[in-house]
Amino acid sequence: MNQTELIEKINFNIIQGRMTAEDEGFDEGLEGQPAVTELIEQAVEAGIDAKIIVLDGLTGAMETVGAKFDKGEYLIPDMLASAECVGAAMDILAPLLADAGVESKGKFVLATVAGDLHDIGKNIVAIMLKGAGFEVLDLGNDVTTGRIVEAVKANNAQFLGLSALLTTTMREMGVVIKALEESGLRDQVRVLIGGAPTSEAFAAEIGADAHCRDAFHAIDLLRQMAA
Amino acid sequence: MIIIGEKINATRKAVKPMILERRETELIELAQNQADAGAAYIDINVGTGTGGREDEVEAIRWAVTTVKAAVAKPICVDSADARVLAAGLAACDGHDAMINSVKADPDYLAEVLPIAARHDVPVICLAMDLEGIPKDVAGRLAACQTIADAAGAHGVPEAHLYFDPLVLPIAADATQAKVTLDTLAAVKDRFPAAKTVMGLSNVSYGLPARAQLNAAFLAMALYAGLDAAIMDPMDSTMRAAALTGTALMGRDRHFRKYSRAFRNA
Ligand code: B1M
Repeated sequence: MNQTELIEKINFNIIQGRMTAEDEGFDEGLEGQPAVTELIEQAVEAGIDAKIIVLDGLTGAMETVGAKFDKGEYLIPDMLASAECVGAAMDILAPLLADAGVESKGKFVLATVAGDLHDIGKNIVAIMLKGAGFEVLDLGNDVTTGRIVEAVKANNAQFLGLSALLTTTMREMGVVIKALEESGLRDQVRVLIGGAPTSEAFAAEIGADAHCRDAFHAIDLLRQMAA
Repeated sequence: MIIIGEKINATRKAVKPMILERRETELIELAQNQADAGAAYIDINVGTGTGGREDEVEAIRWAVTTVKAAVAKPICVDSADARVLAAGLAACDGHDAMINSVKADPDYLAEVLPIAARHDVPVICLAMDLEGIPKDVAGRLAACQTIADAAGAHGVPEAHLYFDPLVLPIAADATQAKVTLDTLAAVKDRFPAAKTVMGLSNVSYGLPARAQLNAAFLAMALYAGLDAAIMDPMDSTMRAAALTGTALMGRDRHFRKYSRAFRNA
């Protein structure tokens, strides 16, 4: 299997929601065929760049899953099955994306905002940040504004990353920034936001420092900020 | 849930001539249809009630050989005669199989358990003894214990025992469904490695709207610890109850089977 075929297979199996070979998929009769875990291992062994696997294999697949959910073709468990696959893939890829031994570039608090349970994207960002040399404090998902502000303060963090995947919860990011201002912390911390419904315009509107399209964009932006 | 397809049973009017006249195509079709409908095992019972023991031995050889060659599913050899079971298992000849069934009868256990051990196959164990079906949980559990002890002595592992708590018609005694369910739970508790199995339809005998009772009973039995059912896999009400109960018990990962059956319903 060449690189394109392998990435396509990974993509297909994430959409099918098959984590390991014995798993059933959305469609019938796939049991026994290599699934995401086995294919990612193959890809790593074949020396395919982990960054390419994440961008072409994982992210693209989850977009397809979202579109299918949108059309009513996928149900919540179908979506969760795919999400689980991405988690398993990232467990394998994390050490490759993180080049260990770099000195700390600063403390980075990361959270998915209150009311929002989507954490796949944030988890990828966390891994990339660690790989880029940041000390990451991942607060998890559905994190209240109070806890976020407290964590920034207690850790004297220089960076805050906020993730939201719902048009209803993205508003909470603005609330966090307001709370930082009210606590007198806004000047010590750079706020970067991300998540599918967010945009550069939205970041400007709520007073965030930057909007990240994806995890790699976040690393680029941080590099520019440091320069 | 494991479905054991019950349709190849010579006591059924449609099946009897199929066996007696060796109608190969029809037999294969009946097995295949059950497999397609989700049966994990194909039960074969050739006891037509006509002819002698030798006829049954011949019939089970033919039926097993015929089904085995055409349908890629394990066969559940079903007879109350140890010689028929032995012949059926021999005909399986390595093809996955199961024995249906034994009860707490020491002599019979001594005949059948060695067959199970030799072929390394699971055995359905009825929670009854020589006096019949005990009316209470303690009695049924005692029968199960007798079988489990004998199985241990003959080298049949506990994981190969499928205990059937048995069900009596509730029309005659309304407490009996609960006795069965409580026995299921007690068996699971006492023999954690063993599996449980049941033929459910007896529960509703003599009452109207039997499908409804059977389906509710199946769902309750799944909660009590049922692993397998001997049933008609083509019965859509029962299939729905099996899929629904399994999903509600959290035993259908990502609701794959449930969603596949009903997502366009
Ligand atoms: C520095 O800080 C940074 C920097 C960059 C950052 C960053 C932070 N955060 C993200 N980034 C960026 O970098 C990441 C990596 O490159 C990227 O992250 P992303 O998260 O964008 O990308 C991930 C790698 C892959 N993407 C994902 O993981 C999201 C995929 C989709 C399919 C999705 C999933 C998987 C789930 N979901 Co939900 N889900 C959808 C999603 C559809 C879609 N196309 O996005 C979406 C977001 N969901 C939606 C909905 C409606 C819902 N979901 C819900 C639930 C779920 C699951 C739990 C089943 C599951 C999440 C599991 C999990 N552990 O995360 C419910 C809400 C739950 C809640 N309160 O949060 C529920 C309401 C469904 C329901 N009816 O219950 C839709 C939102 C619609 C809207 N208008 O807001 C949706 C777009 C699907 C759809 N097409 O309808 C970038 O955005």
